[in-house]
Amino acid sequence: MLVLSRRVGEKMVIGNEVFIEILSVSGDGVRIGITAPRETSVHRFEVFAEIEAANLAAEAVVDELKDSALKDLSAHLRNKNQ
Amino acid sequence: MPAININGKDHSYEEDRIIEFAEGLIGLPRLRRAALVESPEYAPFSWLASLDDDEVRFVVIDPTEIYSDYKPDTVEGSDEHKLRAIVKVSSDWQKTTVNLRAPIFIDEETKSGVQVILADSEYQLEEAFPLS
Repeated sequence: MLVLSRRVGEKMVIGNEVFIEILSVSGDGVRIGITAPRETSVHRFEVFAEIEAANLAAEAVVDELKDSALKDLSAHLRNKNQ
Repeated sequence: MPAININGKDHSYEEDRIIEFAEGLIGLPRLRRAALVESPEYAPFSWLASLDDDEVRFVVIDPTEIYSDYKPDTVEGSDEHKLRAIVKVSSDWQKTTVNLRAPIFIDEETKSGVQVILADSEYQLEEAFPLS
């Protein structure tokens, strides 16, 4: 991990297009301004981690039991549509 | 025609079903190329299978087929995008859920995909299927 120290008002840049500015510090909280291209997503870590965990949980080691359950569900959904 | 093997059975797919993920998926940044594989016995579900790693695959579904008022709106020109949501399969079919909070947008023209974490958490990470 790269560790930098910045004061309020100072900035840093990641790559060529992501700019981080320290806006203010209050107690043990800090307000950070981020300028990045629209295609670059920025999220609080906890939000990202939650989705990462969900992806890994869903990653399909679909064994025979799950395979058969999936087919049951798909049959159920197709029948519903008829 | 290329194919992936699911539980001992080969499922073929067209080359135009290959999607490029410039940033991978959330937590899987190296998952850059995947095939969207359909098979009638799993419909409406399909498989998103990594072409870089045989072990990595997801069951996905077009969420708008199940939840007609699901309208995430974070991607430019999202009308032209296909939507796929990742499904968490349970061995109890009634407990299988869909991730509506971080859907995958696929641009059919450029064959590029991106998983987007939606800003409003109104949508569930583990949405149940309407079963009754």
